[in-house]
Amino acid sequence: MRFSKSMGLVACLAGMLIAGCSGGGSTDEGTAAKGGAAAGGAKPLVVFAQANSQDPWRQVFDANIKAEADKHASEFSYEQQDAQDDPNKQIDEIETFLVKNPKVLLVSAADTSVTQVCEKAFDKGISVIVLDRDIESEKFTCYVGGDNTEIGRQVGEYMGKTMGGKGTILMVQGKAGAKPTEHRRDGFLEVMKAKFPGINIIVGDNADYQRQKARAYMETFLQSGKTFDAVYAHNDEMAIGAYLALEAKGIKGKMIVGVDGCQAEVLDYIREGKMAATFKYPTPGEKGIEIAAEILKGNAPKDKKIILPTTLVTKETADKYLADNPNLFRVEAK
Amino acid sequence: MAQPRSGQSAWLLWIQRYQSLVGLVLLLGVAYWQQPLFFAPGNLANVLNQLAIPGTLALGMTFVILTGGIDLSVGSLFALLNCVTASWCASGTPLWMTVAYVVFLGTAIGALTGGIVSWSGLQPFVVTLGAMVSLRGVAFVYSNRTFIYIREPEHKKLLEPLQGDVAGLPVSAIVLLLCTGLAWVVLARTRFGRQVYAVGGNALASRLSGVPVNQTRIGAYAINGMCVALSAVLFSSKIQMGQFSAGIGYELDAIAGAVVGGCSLIGGYGSVLGTFGGALFIVSVGVLMTLMSIDKLVGDGFKGIIILIAVYMQNLGRRKSDAV
Repeated sequence: MRFSKSMGLVACLAGMLIAGCSGGGSTDEGTAAKGGAAAGGAKPLVVFAQANSQDPWRQVFDANIKAEADKHASEFSYEQQDAQDDPNKQIDEIETFLVKNPKVLLVSAADTSVTQVCEKAFDKGISVIVLDRDIESEKFTCYVGGDNTEIGRQVGEYMGKTMGGKGTILMVQGKAGAKPTEHRRDGFLEVMKAKFPGINIIVGDNADYQRQKARAYMETFLQSGKTFDAVYAHNDEMAIGAYLALEAKGIKGKMIVGVDGCQAEVLDYIREGKMAATFKYPTPGEKGIEIAAEILKGNAPKDKKIILPTTLVTKETADKYLADNPNLFRVEAK
Repeated sequence: MAQPRSGQSAWLLWIQRYQSLVGLVLLLGVAYWQQPLFFAPGNLANVLNQLAIPGTLALGMTFVILTGGIDLSVGSLFALLNCVTASWCASGTPLWMTVAYVVFLGTAIGALTGGIVSWSGLQPFVVTLGAMVSLRGVAFVYSNRTFIYIREPEHKKLLEPLQGDVAGLPVSAIVLLLCTGLAWVVLARTRFGRQVYAVGGNALASRLSGVPVNQTRIGAYAINGMCVALSAVLFSSKIQMGQFSAGIGYELDAIAGAVVGGCSLIGGYGSVLGTFGGALFIVSVGVLMTLMSIDKLVGDGFKGIIILIAVYMQNLGRRKSDAV
């Protein structure tokens, strides 16, 4: 008796599973079998392989790209998958996307490893739009992204000038081996070496772009007794982490600069004077979708490389920035 | 304890043995009604290509689980071997030498883990949890905190043969099929295979009846290490680089493949072909969900439910005396 009850449970779950699965596609076998978009008939398909959807910047990226895709909902259907930063998963996802014969493939590469599969898509006649992270090939239609090296340079200029060419800066680094980490570091060091030789730089550890790790690193660093005047964190999350560690020790007056400018929380920090500034790392999603829509209308993009500019955000410009960027990431306070 | 007590139980045993097959048939049905693109030419190669890495890992895990063990260090070992493969290729070593060395290294580390499990008497969960943390650290140090890129074009060509296909079948899938065949022979046709089942079924009784329990365990973990090495080589050829952060969570995929395929975590029950079916089922679910435009994160929720059902099914009617 116990057995038949449990079989019932299993059957129930299996039923739910199948019912749940069937929510996704339409049963219009005619168009689906031809390899067009499964849902919505003959509309062309635009797919996006996102590297990950976890950090705040990527969440703003996702929100922006989805909002833009919704505006074009009558022109094409849009699908997205997240690879959790695993290039192997991303290659698999793109391969599966290719079975659906999309017209445009947007990729934010988990790593340069996805180069081959992007080339394969490009050779099949699919327009490939690369967002934010490069691939190692010329076989793509268009690249849209920010310039991390340039951001690093601008951080250097801003901090060097504000500090008057003197003092010590502690740099808290992002994920080891990641391109943005290297570029944000190298651009910064380049300007520092060339223009502000009087400033001493402490090249700190990798805190993986995470608040908690940066906080722990800062706590450990303070134990060492070394002094510094300013902190340059490779992103805002780590800048906040560093600030929290200093605040807990009652240390005030350090100049803290971050990068990304995608969180409403950071704007609060800047307005309250807890952080000095942040530099916007623009999300490329809206531009990518605009280009995809143009391609579907038959207009190939004029430029192969579109670099989105950064914006310096300080106490003075914070309110204007907030008004210009409505999709900022905000943790629901409740 | 696994003896059929009535007609109903015989039916249960059949489902337990073939549950991944049942799952696959259900899945093909859903695909037929919901997304016929699943049967598009080229998707079979796609599915098999995606199966190669988790499938090979699940094969190795099957040996460990059959002895009643578990190996949580698979993902970390995978990352280390990925880094080793990439750095050897980046220095221009011929492919066969790299593969031989990586397989040797994987087998040796697997055997070491198995040895610690056997001789320390600690739970495999704890020992391999330790190995999981240490090996990730070793991978981190080995790769000097950075990703290992294979930059020279002639070095990139080294790993290319593994990315090709033979008569429409991806090389990676052929590797998996060969491994599956070999593993089936070892488990079903050799004395070592019978000992693996015996140790997992009842270690004490096995020892008393003269089965070399420790050596069998070490053998199972060594085979697991070998499978990790092979899949790490396939992975390296696919992503053309070495990442200390590779393979996070892959041990869980491997365990899931084995469990959905009918391996029982209490040991002694399961088969290679079942595991193959289980891993194939999980990969197919992923592909079908992408084809059906279901978000991966939502899809993972469904996968979790499937795994729960599978584990529940495997425990039905087994070791009741222990549970009560």
